[in-house]
Amino acid sequence: MIYKVSYVIVDRPHPGEIVNLETPPRVGDRVQLGGEQFEVIEVVDLIPPRGEFAYLHVTCQPVEQDM
Amino acid sequence: MSVTDLLRRTELFSGLTPEQAERIAVLGKEVVYNAGDVIIREGDPSDEVYIICSGMVEVEVSRDTIHDVPGPPQFSSLVRLGQGQVFGEMALMDRGVRSATVRCADDDTTVYVIPQQAFWDLCDGDHHIGYIVMRNIAFDLSFKLRHRNLQVRLAGDTP
Repeated sequence: MIYKVSYVIVDRPHPGEIVNLETPPRVGDRVQLGGEQFEVIEVVDLIPPRGEFAYLHVTCQPVEQDM
Repeated sequence: MSVTDLLRRTELFSGLTPEQAERIAVLGKEVVYNAGDVIIREGDPSDEVYIICSGMVEVEVSRDTIHDVPGPPQFSSLVRLGQGQVFGEMALMDRGVRSATVRCADDDTTVYVIPQQAFWDLCDGDHHIGYIVMRNIAFDLSFKLRHRNLQVRLAGDTP
């Protein structure tokens, strides 16, 4: 399965990212987007899977938020 | 991994047989960019579509184009695109000028560049390939629009 992931950032102006991944992100993961560290706070299926693709929406917040 | 194998792992090629994917892959070539390089520029004529093999690009629109703001160009970043993503597909579909600037975000970003006309000629000459590819582009555009909608919605939730 290939995971097409839409990352959207809360609490900070950031364009987000769209990228294909081989493993799905999970809540609590730390991800680096554009040189900054973020924490995954939500993962949802954006649309139903099609063929070998799954489509995920991932909401992230800056890591500093929980320090 | 060959270029064709890599391209077959992109959504644009989803549903194609290896032979069909190869017929598209031979139309294009790999190009490497470094951080800061402008790959396509808003307002320019368009004649190619791009697939990111590795690395990252940033899609930007100039605010002064819309609002006629004097001074140096001001850019708003719309989204960053990574491995497996397609850009330049809007102009492929409507043959208009580039709607955004795409700037390379990481050194050694490799993109696969396919000439628009050769792409259209292949799709016009083989409607089965054309149908699959156009459906895949529609899915991709829909996904990007959903991403944008979520961005706007979550931005509205920010205090």
